Amino acid sequence: MASVEVKAERGLRGTLPFISTLVLVLLMLLQYRLFFLDNIFPFLSLIGVYYWSIFKPHLIPVSLVFMLGVLQDILSGGPLGMTALLLILVRIFVVRQGSRFLEREFLFNWLVFIFVAVVFGLLNWIIASLYIREAQNLWNIFGQIMLTIAIFPGIAWGLSWVRYLLVKESR
Amino acid sequence: MKELRHRFSSGFFITMALALLIFGSKNPPVVNGFRAGVADVFVPVLDMASRPFSVADGFLKWTQKLAIVFSENERLRAENSQLKRAQIKNSQLAIDNQRLKKLLNVGEGSVNTVAAARVVSDSGSPFFKSTLINRGTSDGVQKGQAVINEDGIVGRTITVGNSSSRVLLATDINSRIPVKLASSGINMILEGDNSPYPKLSFLPIGEKVAIGDLILTSGYGMVFPHDLPVGQVVEIGSESIKIKLSAKLYNLNYVSIVEYEITRSPVAVKKNIDLKKGGE
Repeated sequence: MASVEVKAERGLRGTLPFISTLVLVLLMLLQYRLFFLDNIFPFLSLIGVYYWSIFKPHLIPVSLVFMLGVLQDILSGGPLGMTALLLILVRIFVVRQGSRFLEREFLFNWLVFIFVAVVFGLLNWIIASLYIREAQNLWNIFGQIMLTIAIFPGIAWGLSWVRYLLVKESR
Repeated sequence: MKELRHRFSSGFFITMALALLIFGSKNPPVVNGFRAGVADVFVPVLDMASRPFSVADGFLKWTQKLAIVFSENERLRAENSQLKRAQIKNSQLAIDNQRLKKLLNVGEGSVNTVAAARVVSDSGSPFFKSTLINRGTSDGVQKGQAVINEDGIVGRTITVGNSSSRVLLATDINSRIPVKLASSGINMILEGDNSPYPKLSFLPIGEKVAIGDLILTSGYGMVFPHDLPVGQVVEIGSESIKIKLSAKLYNLNYVSIVEYEITRSPVAVKKNIDLKKGGE
């Protein structure tokens, strides 16, 4: 059964986790023309990397996470390497926890995600402040963290649908 | 063995990310070229993806306009008759102005629109305020050119690729734009601070600014043409004077990239050269 699953994850279908996270990266960069969203847009790529690191870590290796992070840094105009570094750290943290994550319910994953999002946001703020050489507005990052946590169930539901496509094919 | 390989791989990419962060902070040409190249590839994708939002926004504006079409028509009729009277007065003043400028040999600034571009992305970060547009060197765009829209100033180009450019918005912490107070002509600098309302700095001691005062570009710095609308004073604090920009930077659709240069009459240029030679 396991070999059938691995077989189904090879090829183009196996790129679904990477593509779905790439879509999230691109969604972060679009102009939504809403004043209140301008400074507090959620970290969608964080949700993608966190989700796939739990459920299909072998399909989203460190090299791909690095690529996604660098791409986001390039297209957003931020410091090159910042998002790449933070996303890799998230992946390492999640993979280190092992399969225990999978044994729990969604609510547990969400609670862990709250911790991850807060640390991710604060590190983002620290690196950006060091890069600009001026302490940046903490309220903005607070808003981003809150919105990321709030939107997590919705995005995770969308990604679980993508994961279902992978599992369905392996049956 | 697998664990060791995994650890090595993680360590390698963390080192790479840190190296990029440190090396890239000085904005070397290699990094800028790489950024521009990648942006060139992804701008068409972002352009396509952003179109539904653009269409939705256009539709929303259209319905809003439709709702006020009759009252707007009345207002425009009244405004039109006022403008006709002002036009006659202005044409007389323009002739006087031109004659006086000739007498004083004042350099005339010429503004060329290099290209019109579509804004395809946002930075998605509260710390870095820039945007990507779908025009680059192949359209004549160069680094350091002014970017404006129908409402006022937007920013300036900082990285230019073959078919895309990055625009540093006027709200970014690294943005500095020479401006003046429309009423008195006092020159100041508009400083971005990553908030939606950039601040005014270098206000001469003793000079006063009031809420609602209009701010225009001064033309100094040779990037932005003079007298373009910048915004209005909205807050006067003990530490800073905040400006609400005329252009809505969170809702940009089409922008123009403009080139500004001062051209003097050949006689004035010759006089300057003669003066310099005399000085030597």
